Order: sequence, then structure tokens, then C-alpha cells
Amino acid sequence: MSTSAAAASARPTKPRPSPWRWVIVAAVVAFTWFAAEQTRFSIPELIENFTRANDLAKEFWPPAWEVARGLVDPFLETIQIAVIGTIVGCGLAIPLSFLAAYPTAPGTAVRVISRFSMNILRTMPDLFWAILFATAVGFGPFAGAVALSIFALAIMAKLFSETVDAIETGPLEAVRATGASRFQAVRRAVWPQVRPNFVAYAFYIFELLIRASVVLGLVGAGGVGTSLNRWRQFFQYDRVMVLVLITLVIVLTLEAVGALVRKRLS
Amino acid sequence: MIELRDLSVVYPGGVVGLDSVDLTIPDGQFVVVVGLSGAGKSTLLRAINGLVPATSGSVKVDGEEVVGAHERQLRDIRSRIGMIFQTFNLVTRTSVLNNVLCGRLSQVPTWRSTLGLWPTKDKDIAFDALTRVGIVEKAYVRASDLSGGQQQRVAIARALAQKPTLMLADEPVASLDPPTSHQVMRYLQRINRELEITTLVNLHFLDLAKEYAERIIGLREGKLVFDGAGDDVDDDVFRDIYGRSLTADDILETPTL
Repeated sequence: MSTSAAAASARPTKPRPSPWRWVIVAAVVAFTWFAAEQTRFSIPELIENFTRANDLAKEFWPPAWEVARGLVDPFLETIQIAVIGTIVGCGLAIPLSFLAAYPTAPGTAVRVISRFSMNILRTMPDLFWAILFATAVGFGPFAGAVALSIFALAIMAKLFSETVDAIETGPLEAVRATGASRFQAVRRAVWPQVRPNFVAYAFYIFELLIRASVVLGLVGAGGVGTSLNRWRQFFQYDRVMVLVLITLVIVLTLEAVGALVRKRLS
Repeated sequence: MIELRDLSVVYPGGVVGLDSVDLTIPDGQFVVVVGLSGAGKSTLLRAINGLVPATSGSVKVDGEEVVGAHERQLRDIRSRIGMIFQTFNLVTRTSVLNNVLCGRLSQVPTWRSTLGLWPTKDKDIAFDALTRVGIVEKAYVRASDLSGGQQQRVAIARALAQKPTLMLADEPVASLDPPTSHQVMRYLQRINRELEITTLVNLHFLDLAKEYAERIIGLREGKLVFDGAGDDVDDDVFRDIYGRSLTADDILETPTL
């Protein structure tokens, strides 16, 4: 008894939790309540609306499958836009990420500038880019592809540069010590470490772009979005449902293929 | 030949790595650097190939000045200096051969190495290097699938593939068990003798230092405090270098009971 009591007294006292903890909790609760008030967010109302959602469901169901045939070409266009956006955006993200990451940046100035431009790219919403390029190169799939390339670049550069930040730097130092150039060392000592992550992110971004390109059609940037926009305006929700279901199947298929590739690579 | 003149390294933050070190190492010598951790052993090696920039003084490798050398010159000097690390520093997610070929990067056009289109001549050099450390059969195995001792031999092969005139080894056996440590030290010794590559090894195990060193250099707090033949060194000298009495942790092998 006395020995265990002595052992207990030898333990350090547990540090007191910061008093700020309660301030932060209170602030989060207060802001949530304020935001709910302002947006008139109400759970009872949501439940009430959904219990009489029968009418809503009737609008969407059954899906108007007869429009599916006509959707083949728009969907092909959507996929093409997403493929180009993924390849161009992710391709450009490789050099940008290496310039922006701590272990591989050639200098502080280059790193800071790269990070800054990455943040600018990411701050702009994808719809902004679509509208910008639609104005610049005209409405259509080309504007959509360019807008999505930038969207892909912004996301990939963020994810990938953070992955490069976390690499083991030992191999990089060792390869630099052989007299290799910075580029060669990045290619040979860093790229093999981060390649599996890059491929996984690219699949994720392709999925995002499929969904984003549906939305971009709303501003006339090509793909199925054009059909979506038309049907939405005429309240043809049974047709919208077909579009939603096809998108779902495509995204799920991509997810499965991506998981397979990731497994092979790791 | 390596010539250090009044070489000092002060790290950002004011920590002194090396304090006016003068040292000349003739071609072909096998030199062991001893000292406590923090005494400047790693800094000494890294100042020689410019991985750590010198604050003042001069480092000459085969007559070429390292201190203040430009990127291009520095890479040229480094290409003739092999380096081995405590943690091996292999690219574990790629094959053994790809790791060894990294030693050829300075001699192969960038577009070729980037696409993996290595010239046959350079592949031959890589395979020869792997043969020399007795591990050529693992050429296409992923580096992460090798044991610690095997990984260190691959790292030696990567350095050999540079066809270096100088080999720097920074605590090459600190992560290995005693039998493997001796195996790696014997490879370094054999390379030194057969290929006449000047070799500088940092060690903190005194029995290993005595067994392999042709010449021993002692560092304490960044200063060179001992320089003599390996045979001349006894426990008193080590006590002097360490500035304290010796313990069981200072030797690799437990004395036989």
C-alpha cells in the first residue's frame, strides 16, 4: 500500500486543461445557434417537408428513361472535358507542387511565390473560372475543359505539395550527395516516394471533375449540364433523375477502378 | 588528397559544428573519426562534400575548392565523392538497381535518367558495384524488402557506382547488429584497399575504430584533439578525446566472459 502510494506521488501532476477550452466551446455553440437563426434552419420544418415528400418523389419518379439515349453524346462530352481537365491540371500540378514544397523548393522566394499562386488559384470557385473562360474563348466544351484544368490544378497542387512536404528527406540528401542535379534528385529520390499518392489523388480529382462538369453546363460550358439546365427550368425532374442516376453509376465505377489501381500500386 | 585549412562551421542559431580544423588526408588512407555525438563528426564529413556549407576556412578535394563553389562545380566535386549514411537513405519504394543507378546520375543525360533509359555502360557499372558488395542477385528486388545490412551494402554500391576517389561514411554501422557491422566494415576496408579509394568513416564504437583504422582522428566540441595512427591509440587516448571515462556503451562487442 505505502509503496504504491509513494509511486503515485512520484508521478507528475496531470497538466490542467487550458481555460480557453470552454471559451472556444461556448463560441462554437453561440455561432452555430446564431447561424441557424439567420438561415432559419429548422429541423421540425425539414421533417415536416420530407413527410409530405410524396409529392416531391412523384416529380422525380419514375425516371424518364426515354431521354437516356439522347444523353449518350452529352455524357461523352462531359467525360472528355473531365479527362482533359484531369490530365492537364494534374500534369501542371507536378512542377508547381515540387516548387512549393519545403524539401524540394529551390529557394525560399520560389517556394513562397508558388504557395501564394496556389492559394489564389484555390480561392476562386470553379464556376468563376468557367464564366471567365466562357467569356474569353466562347461558350462550349473548350471553356469547360480549361476551367476544370485550373480547378484540378488548384486541388492537386494543394494535396500533392503537402504530400511532398512529408517525405523522408534522407534519400534526397543521399542522391544530391552523388552530384545529381536538383531535378534529377527529385525525379529519382522523391517521385518514387509520392507516386502512389499522386495516382490516388488523380482518380479522386477525375471524380470531382465529372461532377463539376455537370454543374459547369449550367453556365454553358458544355456537357450534360446543358440538358440539366433545360430540364430544371421546365421542372422535368423525372428527366433530371435519369441524369443523376447515370452520374452516380459513372462516379461509382470510377471509385472502383481507382481502388483497384491504388491496390496494384501500393 | 583532402586538405582542410582553418575550417569552421557555425550553424544558424549559433551552434558551433567545427572550430578551425586543420587536416590533410593523403590518397588511399583509411581514416576513422571518433568523438562523442555532437562533437562535429557529421559536420566534418558534410563540409567535405558541401552538404553543410563552411562558415570560414578552406576545403580542398583533389585540389578543388569546395567552400564557395557554385552549384555546377559543387556537383562535379560531389560526383567523385561517395557517401554512406547511418540510416542507409535508400529510396525504399524502388528497386535495388534503380537505387544503385542513382550513383550514375551525374554522368548520364537528364532526359535518359528521367525516362529510365540508362545507357548499357552505366547499367554495367551498377551491376559491377552490386557484385562487389555481394548482392547482385537482389538487383530487381524492392529496396524495402532487404535487411538493414543488405540495404547498407546497396548504399555502398550506389556510392561505388559513382567511381569515386573518396568515400565518406557517416556512422555506417550504428543501425546494425555486431556481426553485420563487421561485415559492412570489411566491405569498406576491402574497397579502400582494392580500389584505392580514400575512406573517411565516423564511428563511435572504439573497438571498431581500433580494429579498422589506419589513422584515427579525434574530435571534441568541434576541435581536432587527436590525430595519430590506429595502432598508437589506447584507452587513455580515447578517454582524452571523450573527456570522460569509458563505458560499455563505447564498445560494440561485450568482452567475452
